[in-house]
Amino acid sequence: MRLSALIISLLACLVSACTLTDSNRSTCLSCHNALEHASPAHDDCVNCHGGDPKARNKGTAHATMRGPANPSAPDTWEEACGRCHRYQLERVKSTIMQTNAGMIRNVQLTWEGEDGRTYTTTGGKQFAADGQPVEFAAVEDLDNLSGELYRKFCSRCHVGSSNAESYGAAHASGCAACHFPWNDTATYQGRDKTMKGRAGHSASHAMIALPDTQVCSRCHNRSGRIAISYQGLYDGNNGLVPTSGGEGGPLMTSGARNLTSIAPDVHFAAGMECIDCHTSRDVMGDGFAYRNMYLQTEVACEDCHGSGSQVPRYRETVRENEESLRESKGYKQPATSGMKMIQTSKGRSYSNVFYRDGAVWLQGKRSGKLHRSKVITGTPEHTIAGHGRLECYACHSHTSVQCYGCHTRYDKGKRGMDFIKGEETAGFFSETEDYRMLYPFPLALNQRGRISPVTPGCQTFVTVAEADGTQSKTEYVAKFKGRQQLRFAPFYSHNTGKKSVGCSECHGNPQFLGFGQHIVEGNSIKGTLICERSDSKPLDGFLSMDRGRVTAYSAITRENARPMNASEIKRALSVNLCLPCHSKAGDRIYRKGINLRALDDSLHRRLLSAP
Amino acid sequence: MHWMTPYIAGFCLLLSSEAMAAHGGLVCGSCHRPPGGSVVTAVRAASSLADGCVVCHRGYGRIFDQSMAHRKGEKQFVQRSYARVDSGFWEKNCSSCHLKSCLDCHDEGEPKKPTVAACQRCHKGYYTGWDYSGRAPREDNMRYQRGLAINDETFLKMLPDVHSRAGLTCGDCHSMSSLSQGKKSSKGCIDCHKPDLKILEHRISVHMERLECYACHSAWGAQEYATFFLRFRDPKMKEDFDLKAGPSEDYLRSSYLRKQDAPPLGINDRGRISPIRPLFIAYYTDIMSARNGGPENTLLVAEWRAWFPHTVQRGSVTCERCHDNPARFLLEPEAGRIFQLKKDRLQLESFWVQEGQRMVNGSFMSANRYLRMSSKSPAYTKAYIEKWKTLLNHVENSSRP
Repeated sequence: MRLSALIISLLACLVSACTLTDSNRSTCLSCHNALEHASPAHDDCVNCHGGDPKARNKGTAHATMRGPANPSAPDTWEEACGRCHRYQLERVKSTIMQTNAGMIRNVQLTWEGEDGRTYTTTGGKQFAADGQPVEFAAVEDLDNLSGELYRKFCSRCHVGSSNAESYGAAHASGCAACHFPWNDTATYQGRDKTMKGRAGHSASHAMIALPDTQVCSRCHNRSGRIAISYQGLYDGNNGLVPTSGGEGGPLMTSGARNLTSIAPDVHFAAGMECIDCHTSRDVMGDGFAYRNMYLQTEVACEDCHGSGSQVPRYRETVRENEESLRESKGYKQPATSGMKMIQTSKGRSYSNVFYRDGAVWLQGKRSGKLHRSKVITGTPEHTIAGHGRLECYACHSHTSVQCYGCHTRYDKGKRGMDFIKGEETAGFFSETEDYRMLYPFPLALNQRGRISPVTPGCQTFVTVAEADGTQSKTEYVAKFKGRQQLRFAPFYSHNTGKKSVGCSECHGNPQFLGFGQHIVEGNSIKGTLICERSDSKPLDGFLSMDRGRVTAYSAITRENARPMNASEIKRALSVNLCLPCHSKAGDRIYRKGINLRALDDSLHRRLLSAP
Repeated sequence: MHWMTPYIAGFCLLLSSEAMAAHGGLVCGSCHRPPGGSVVTAVRAASSLADGCVVCHRGYGRIFDQSMAHRKGEKQFVQRSYARVDSGFWEKNCSSCHLKSCLDCHDEGEPKKPTVAACQRCHKGYYTGWDYSGRAPREDNMRYQRGLAINDETFLKMLPDVHSRAGLTCGDCHSMSSLSQGKKSSKGCIDCHKPDLKILEHRISVHMERLECYACHSAWGAQEYATFFLRFRDPKMKEDFDLKAGPSEDYLRSSYLRKQDAPPLGINDRGRISPIRPLFIAYYTDIMSARNGGPENTLLVAEWRAWFPHTVQRGSVTCERCHDNPARFLLEPEAGRIFQLKKDRLQLESFWVQEGQRMVNGSFMSANRYLRMSSKSPAYTKAYIEKWKTLLNHVENSSRP
C-alpha cells in the first residue's frame, strides 16, 4: 500500500511537471504549495515527514520521507510524533485501540478458547494496571482460526492499520487515525492541486487536535455500533430502503449497509460529541495495558449525574502541571487553576467537567458550549430499594442493538487478506445473520455485579470448509465456561434517553429479564423465536421458565457476570403485585424492600376483595 | 389419434399406481375426460379446471369461484396501489399463487387430501400458512438469507402453532366444503374448545364478548413495516442491491422493518378485537427515474388488515402488554418513539400511529376506548394481581380441549 502510494505520488508529480525554482525555500512547496498546514504549531513539512527539502527532484526529496504519506503510522511514529509527543505516544502504544487485546481475547473465547497467552496486535513488553511488567504475544503467532478471524476481519479497525478501501470507514493508521479528517471515500479534497482527488489520504491536511464524532464513527460503526446508535442511526435489516437518489439509502456506510434513523442519544441531541464524555485516557490509554476495554474506560454516568446515594465528586486543581490544565489548552475555554474538576470513576480529573455554583457543568471540548448536568442523587426515581444494583443505562437506554445468530464461515479453499501480515493467505471469512432488533433488550448481571443491558456477544456458529470442500465444522458452537453455549455480553448501547423504561414495562415484560419474545402459560414462559439448533430454546434470550423452574442456557461474558437467578427473577416479577396501585416511583413502599406479605394484611384483603 | 388412448392410459396407470389405489376401480376416462368430450386430457389442464374431478366430487368446482382462484381482494389492492405506477405489476409479481386446477393442491399421482406442505406452497412468506409450522419470513438482504429453507425459501424458526404440534392439518379446520362455499374455515375456535372459566382471562366477561380468541392466543405474528417494490428498467442496476430475487425481472422487494412478536391489535369486521398488521404500507421507487432526479419512496397506500395469525398457544402475553401498551393499538406516544420515519422521508410519523393509515377490514381502536381500557379499575387490579400470582405460584392450562 505504502509503496503503491509512493509510486502514484511520483507519477502524479511527473505528470504535473513539478519544477523547482526557488533554491532558498523548501522544495516541498514546489509541488505542495497549497497544502494545508497541519496546525500553526506543525508548519514544517520535514519535522514530521522527513525527506530532503533541498532536493530538486521528487524521487530524491521523497526518498527519506517517513511514511511517506503518514509519518504517524506505527512504523515511523517514534521519529515523527513521538519526538515531541512522547507522553501521548507511550500511552497510545498500550491503549486497547492499539493492542486490541480485548478483541483478540473475545475472538479466542468464541472459537478455540484461550491458550494461556495474552495476545496483542504487535506483542512485546508493557505494564499491566498493577504496574507490573507484562509480556504479550503477537497476534501474528496466533496460529488458529481466532488469529485468522482477527487478522482478516477485526483488525480493519485497529488504530495501527490504515483502511483506505472501506466506504464510510476509511481511516489512517497511528496518530493520524484520529487526528486527521478522513471522508467517506478516503479522498483528499483540500486546496493542494497535486494531492486533489487522490485516494488513500485524509480529506484535508489540517490536523484535528480534538476528534469529532465522525472520526470515532469510522471504526465504532460495527459490533456494538455505539457511534451510529449515538447519532440516532441504525444499520438494522440492511434492507437498503428508503432509497436515496435511486441508490441504497437513506444513508450508506461500510459493507454496503444502509443506515436508517432512530431517536438519537440525549447527549448527541444536546450537541455533545464522543470526546465530551470520553477522556483522553479512555481513548489514548493511560500508559497501562488492559485486557479489555471496560477495564481501560474511566468515565461513568455517575461521574456527572451522581448515583442515588452519592453526588458527583470533584477535586480542586491546585498544581500548575495538572493534566486537566494541560489537556484543556485547546478547548474554547481552558480550565484554570482553582477550578473544581469532576472526578472520573478512577478518581482522575475530567478536563472539561467541573463544579460551579452548586451545579455540575460540562464544556463541549470542541464547541465550548456549556451543558448543565442534571444530578439525580436522592430523587425518588433513583432511590428505589433494589435499584441500587442497576446500571443507569439499564433504564435509560432508548434502545440496545442486538444481532442474533452470527453464522461465520471459514473457507480454506479461498484466499483472504491478512491485514496484520499484509498479504493474502489461504482462508476466507464470510458472515450471515439471523435477526436484528433494538427493543426491548435483555438485562443481566455484569462484571460489576450490576444489572446491565446485555447483547449477543457473540452468538457465533462456526462452519469450516476445508480446501477440498468438505466441512470439518458445521454450525459449531464453541465451549464457554466448560460447555457449549452461546454468549451475551454486558453492553451500553450509547443510545441514552432522558425518559427511562417504565416500571411496568420492565417488570411486566419478561423479555427484559432474558426470556426473549415469549408467551406465558401458567408459570411457564415459552420463547417464540427459536434457535435453529434447538426445539425450544429462544434465540433472542438466555433463560427459560418451565413450571416455575428457571434455567439459563447461555452465558454472560466477563468475570462474575451471569444471568439473573430464579430468586432474582421471581423478585423482579413480584413487583407486579404492587405496581397496579403503587405505580409511582416516589411511593413510600419502594424506599425499602417490598414486603409481599402485606398483600395478606387486612387493608389489602379488603381492597382486593372489593367487587 | 383416438386409437392411442388405451395405450396412453395403460402407460399412465403403470406410472401412477398410487393414483389408482386412491381411485381404485375407476376407468381412466372417469377423470381424464371432460363432460361431453371424448379426448383424454390431463386433469390439471387449466381449461378444464376441475372437470375431471367434479363428475364425482360434486359441488367442489365452486372453489374456482372463490378467492383462491379469483383473488379479487389482492387484485383490488394492486389496483389501488402499485397498478397506479405500473399497470403490469400484478402479472409481474403476484400471479404465481393462483388456483388453476384441483391438482394444484391435490398432488398429481397421489390425489388425496392436501398436506400442510401442499397448502404452504402458496400460503407462505408473509402470508398466513407458514406461521402454522413456525416459520417467519427473513429479512430481504442476502446477509439474512440463510439457514433452514423450504422450497429454497429461507425462514426464521419460530414456535409452531399448538395445533400443528398436535398433528392437525390445515384441512381439519379449513374443509374443502367450506372453501368451496367461500368461507374461510369450517371450524372456529369454540367449535372445538370450551373456554375454561377457571382461567382468569376467561372469567372477564369483556374479554369473552369483545375479543377474538386469537387476539390473546396468537403467540406471534409476522409483521412487515414499509414494503418497498424497487423497479429496475435495466437489470444491471440491481447489482447495487444485494436483495433476495423475486418472481419478476423488473423488481426487487425489500422492507424497512420486520418483526415477529405479539402483533398490534385493532377491531375486525366482526367488531371484535383482533391482531392486525400492515398489508401493506406500500412504497415504490423507479430506480432509473430516481437516479435522474425523479420521485422515489412514493407512499402508495398504508393499509392494515385484521388477521388470524396461525400461531396459537395455550398461553398468552401478560395483561400490561395490552392494557398498558398504547403502541399496540397504534396510539404510540411521541416520547416513546424509536424509529424516526419523517427523518427518512417515509411520510408517516410512525408505523404505530393511526394517522395516515387505514384499516381495510375493520377499524383501529379509538383513543377514547383505549383510555377506558387502560384505566386501572379495581377489577383490573384484582385480576392483574391474580395473574401474576399464577405466574409466580402455580400452573394452569388456558383452555380445555
